[in-house]
Amino acid sequence: MTEHPSFSYTPNEYEAEKASNSYLMSVIAVMIGLPLPVINLIATAIFFIANKRATHFVRWHCMQALLSQGFTFPMNVTGVYWTLSIVFGANIISNNYIAYMTTIVVFNIAEFIATVYAAVQTRKGNHVEWWLFGPLTHLLIKA
Amino acid sequence: MKKVFTHALFLSVTFFGTWYLLGLVDYRSIFNIEELTKENEQKLGRLILDAVAKSNKTITQDSVVSVISGIKKRICEANGIPDSTITVHIVSVDDVNAFALPGRHLVIYSGLINYCASADELAGVIAHEIAHMQYDHVMKKMIKEIGLAMVITLSGGDSGSEIVRQTVKLLSSTAFEREQESEADASGVHYLAKADIDPQASADFLFRLSHEKENISLQFELLNTHPNSNDRAAEIIKLRKQEIFTSRQICDSISWKKFQAAVLQRVSEKDVF
Repeated sequence: MTEHPSFSYTPNEYEAEKASNSYLMSVIAVMIGLPLPVINLIATAIFFIANKRATHFVRWHCMQALLSQGFTFPMNVTGVYWTLSIVFGANIISNNYIAYMTTIVVFNIAEFIATVYAAVQTRKGNHVEWWLFGPLTHLLIKA
Repeated sequence: MKKVFTHALFLSVTFFGTWYLLGLVDYRSIFNIEELTKENEQKLGRLILDAVAKSNKTITQDSVVSVISGIKKRICEANGIPDSTITVHIVSVDDVNAFALPGRHLVIYSGLINYCASADELAGVIAHEIAHMQYDHVMKKMIKEIGLAMVITLSGGDSGSEIVRQTVKLLSSTAFEREQESEADASGVHYLAKADIDPQASADFLFRLSHEKENISLQFELLNTHPNSNDRAAEIIKLRKQEIFTSRQICDSISWKKFQAAVLQRVSEKDVF
């Protein structure tokens, strides 16, 4: 799921901390954001905007963290909406609903593990590229 | 760019594939959701029924109940619906109304019986309510109106009598969704035709109900709960043409009048609880 290609330059201690924080931001936001998945997305988006003028390494990882949140956001919003329609609406707990919720839990756990891993690695100054989000970030963040 | 598309496609396939494969498992049976739902529904039905019985007289005489149960049985048997799962309750209230409760209880007001010009008309209302039960509209309506949390609280028996009273009011005097009403009408017509009861009687009933509303002092709850009676009657006539059936009247008008008189007599008696 993750790769360790070398970055164009070796980031310094300050950059590594900043880049790591971009992932930690979404991890911390997960705790508040579980019932409201938009919180994670907003947190990483704010962090990305705040570091818009930061170095390439920092911007790159902020964008990767943001994209990963952008991926889970529609999944989680659908899950929350579906749950609310069951609790307050006329929908019932169907096999399809349970299957969907299990799927998004699995994807969220995978994303959570990858985020923690990326936070630890970037803090050490290592460059981590996620599957899909890495190549996508390269397209969006130019040196 | 190609790499991104390949990865995105693979991830989408993984996501939807996982969802699809997990969806093949019958969780409802594994977690016994069906049974729990039925159990709660039964509890809820009994609770609401108790509230109805407390505030109104219930007619339990065999001579009256057996006639209505006979109509219900004829419709159920012709349509492969287990007749014993539906219980009919006749309540002494002048309102022209009938409604389904959770747990497959069918409440019919004496006002409706006395208003129907024939047993076939009453059969139309019964078929419509059975259709609501078959589609589980009652529970869906309750969950939508008062929320799943409240429905669970109610079925646990921990709720106050005021909540139960409001629930009775909700089920007896508010409409289902338009689509649900149409669905129940369409199935009702089909049930009647299968039981060789002419659905024309249902259309006549609705036309009459709609036209007579302003001339009679009776309370037409059915009109409040089932809007656009004229449109519904027209739709029933349209649906009737698509059905093939041999009309067999439930009973002749003399027998029906005698039955209505018997119901009226029970209503006027004091020992009908």
